[in-house]
Amino acid sequence: MRGIREYILRDMIKWFRSPVSVVSMLVMPAAWLIFVGLALPVSFTGNYLDFITPGILVMTMLSSSLNGGTLLMFDKILGFLNKFLALPTPRESILFGKILFITIRGAIQATIILVIAVLIGATILSPVQYGMIYLILLLFGFLMSACATTIALYLGDHDSYAAFNTMISMPLFFTSSALMPYSVMPAWLRTIAHLNPLSYAIDAVRAAGTGTIPFLQIGLLVAMGGVVIAICMQMFRRVTV
Amino acid sequence: MNAVETNSLTRYYDSLCAVDHLTISVNNEIFALLGPNGSGKTTTVLMLTTLLRPSEGSAAICGHDVVSEGEEVRKRLSYVPQDMAVDIKLTGRENVLLFAKLYGITKPKDKTDEVLAIMDLSDRADDLIRTYSGGMRRRLELAQALVHEPDVLFLDEPTIGLDVAARKKIWEHVRMLRKNGMTIFVTTHYMDEADQFCDRVGIISHGSIAALDTPSALKAQLEKDVITVKVSGTPGPVDIPGVHVVGTEGREITFTADNGREAMPLVARALETQGVTVTSLSLREPTLDDVFLHAVGTGEEPGHFDYQQFRTMLRRRK
Repeated sequence: MRGIREYILRDMIKWFRSPVSVVSMLVMPAAWLIFVGLALPVSFTGNYLDFITPGILVMTMLSSSLNGGTLLMFDKILGFLNKFLALPTPRESILFGKILFITIRGAIQATIILVIAVLIGATILSPVQYGMIYLILLLFGFLMSACATTIALYLGDHDSYAAFNTMISMPLFFTSSALMPYSVMPAWLRTIAHLNPLSYAIDAVRAAGTGTIPFLQIGLLVAMGGVVIAICMQMFRRVTV
Repeated sequence: MNAVETNSLTRYYDSLCAVDHLTISVNNEIFALLGPNGSGKTTTVLMLTTLLRPSEGSAAICGHDVVSEGEEVRKRLSYVPQDMAVDIKLTGRENVLLFAKLYGITKPKDKTDEVLAIMDLSDRADDLIRTYSGGMRRRLELAQALVHEPDVLFLDEPTIGLDVAARKKIWEHVRMLRKNGMTIFVTTHYMDEADQFCDRVGIISHGSIAALDTPSALKAQLEKDVITVKVSGTPGPVDIPGVHVVGTEGREITFTADNGREAMPLVARALETQGVTVTSLSLREPTLDDVFLHAVGTGEEPGHFDYQQFRTMLRRRK
């Protein structure tokens, strides 16, 4: 669609020109990787770093997506959206440009986290496995950034969205399979973890790491992404006409 | 075919009627929609630029309906909202180039250079917007709006918050665009600007047009010029056609005249021939302020303020 590339480029330049936000969004996942991944004494696996890295990669995508939710909302509040909507460029390009930018940004951050993980001792995988991992991360990023953008547009102001973001991110992470396998979870947590979309992505990345192709999880992510993007487009049309 | 044509254009926000059966046509001119806050100016512009759906009535830009032919309409117009939305982390050139590419211009780089030059921004083109003044940012927005050579340019409060010099410069550019054949639709609440720079003015109040004409015709309808003379001595009656004494207060005499500027020397000469010394002469011509207040009334905001309604309205506008 015409214009998507331009919208992505605009956000990309703006992002690279604010080094503080580039670095600050990496601190949290890097801290988890180093301080938890290297230090937590666990008995269910010999290499906890290898176990937790998929969780942290997905967490990186998640926080990038949730932070990205504000982007389109701010474009709307600051008047950019109206200027873009008055262009003959297809209006949906604005939405897709934003969601793709957030996804790409998440993937760039996940790459840095992956490099750190390898540097501190994670097992190096084959190029095909990394390719699969990136596919899963991109699908998950697309799903979550569409979600975040929809909710931000619905809430309409930054304070409400920041509150929502704080409320949702930690519980989502802790109720997923990021930190421990299902087998050692208490039964109630296992049920929740099986329903958490984060788990699908994490399990898929883990499966890719062990050499199997996680068709089920990829299918689930694609299906959920399809539903969410449909809702998101509906919301976008509602706030723009 | 007129550049802008509306027919009973109406917009409700819930039960509040923001624009009330507005019928205007604008072509090849600088047209100012003048009105107090909340009178429906921005709502009108949003409907004309396809950003808001009319509740009733219709509007067309260069013959294309704003509801059914949105994309054709957007190809023909440019819209500069009042928010001053330019990316401060991009350079002037990057900001304009973005729009040139979004419009799908064939040679975006050349066009960018060209419009930056027109807006006198060439020497600062590679600086970040962060370092631009308000007037420069506004000119940059005009440059963005010009890259695809629109037929109609919508400017919502183009000079709001700018200093006198910057405002003048913006208007000079707008006049130049008008000279090259562009139709310019402006909203403003600065009377003096509408008076000085616009070809026609529509005064809007509570969503409908209260008066519409050229600034000078609007002023002429309203009232005569007022001449005030201070004299020493006791003058007799003055007999000049079209000039009438309306009051004497001490040594100050007040006349009205159809054409104050021409009547002033006549009044002075008539008084001097009577042996009276004229110590001061002053003239007050009606301004667009007077026309405005006459048309709109000192009109306070509508008596009852519904906060919920206000919120919905703001939300829809953004």
